[in-house]
Amino acid sequence: MPRDLVIPPKSLDEILDWLHPDRDHAGEIYVQLRHDLTKIFTWNRCADPDGLTDEVFDRVSRKVHGVRLTFEGDPKLYFYGVARNLVKESPKRAKRQVSLEDTDLRAPEASTQDEVAHMREECLNRCLQDLDPEKKELILSYYAKDKQAKIDYRSEMARELGITVETLRVRIHRLRGTIETCIERCLDRMGQKR
Amino acid sequence: MKEEGATDALLRQFLLGRVEDEERQRIESLFITDSQMKDKVLAAEQKLIDDYLDDCLTTADKEAFLLFHGDTAAQRRKLEIARSIQEWAVNRTGKTPIPATPPLSLWDRLRLPKKSILILPIAATAAVAIVFALVWVNNRRTERNREFLAVQQELAQLNTPSSLRDVPAEVHLTLKPTVVRSVESQPELLSRPNIHIVELRLLWMQEKDYPSYQAVVRRAGDGQPYTLDNLTIEKDGGKMIRIRVPARILTRGNNQIELTGVAANGSKSSSEIYSFFVSE
Repeated sequence: MPRDLVIPPKSLDEILDWLHPDRDHAGEIYVQLRHDLTKIFTWNRCADPDGLTDEVFDRVSRKVHGVRLTFEGDPKLYFYGVARNLVKESPKRAKRQVSLEDTDLRAPEASTQDEVAHMREECLNRCLQDLDPEKKELILSYYAKDKQAKIDYRSEMARELGITVETLRVRIHRLRGTIETCIERCLDRMGQKR
Repeated sequence: MKEEGATDALLRQFLLGRVEDEERQRIESLFITDSQMKDKVLAAEQKLIDDYLDDCLTTADKEAFLLFHGDTAAQRRKLEIARSIQEWAVNRTGKTPIPATPPLSLWDRLRLPKKSILILPIAATAAVAIVFALVWVNNRRTERNREFLAVQQELAQLNTPSSLRDVPAEVHLTLKPTVVRSVESQPELLSRPNIHIVELRLLWMQEKDYPSYQAVVRRAGDGQPYTLDNLTIEKDGGKMIRIRVPARILTRGNNQIELTGVAANGSKSSSEIYSFFVSE
């Protein structure tokens, strides 16, 4: 679980300055770096990727004052180095530690599953309604074909958009991420109301 | 991309947790620092999720996929959302499954004319037969799709820069674009059981070169075409792009390769067509 991470303001300033001299740009890099590190912890099957990402920033904040003067190269690699150490220290999922989130205390009843599926569908509709029409059309076209025709059709789609199939996949990946975040927030709100 | 980069096949193995620790670290550090590599990894991840949703992964790949991408409640939730998006898109294009007819009550059955009651068992048998036929057709489709994806993966592996560089070609055929050799006879490839891999050397006659090339292999008949991305040009004397294909996928008759240059911004050149005849 993510911790209540509190980086002292002075250390946060130093981290941001180290990442980029322009504060707005540094903020963007900071957010992206958090996201990337969480993904890396997930790929390494670490328990609690969000908590470990907090731990990386916590550890860097304690050393940034000295390190930024001596470290050569892309500062993101320093964060990555700290993350690698944590991967080695951290137990892998299903081996030594089970996150509470993943513990099935008892199998959910069918009615609960139906309810969750219904809520998800409702949230999906809401999130898609809010989506820019062009993006909605893009994701609709990407998925709306029979299995057999998909590969050809996606190549054709990419050709029409003047991009490679790879770029099309990246766009869909990001778009799916946006919809996922929207649905998760919607589910949280619905859960709180009930 | 810095250093050697990574092929789609390698990134797939990385995402399935099948690369050595040193290679993993190299890819991860590039993922953090190199935007091109990040896009490549995300594209590979999207492809993997698509294959999972389409049930096109082998059993071993599916197990590895679920271990790395469907192990926690949060990951499973993401996969469920991805599936919901896919289902929504399919339903929006008019492929909504036909709702099952509610079963007839005893009263309804009694109210039916006698003739209908006699027809019912026959209709039920026919319906069962249709369902079995549909399941069979669907299985065949899934099987064909799996075979197609397996070949697509094999093609990607055969055409990595290291494979092309390090593994000698069994047999090769040099091809000119169809327009250029319009007055010459069509090159012919004699298919033999001992030939497993065929190297096609596609001469690039356009003045402009591109950072990468895409080849689409179209076989004789109505087979599904295969696509090869990220091919590079070689300038040994003339300019050519080498591709390798398993001989078994080439069918007897006229086969075609469509080659296109891909610029750094993703825009494409006009295509060149290369034809050759496969005989036994």
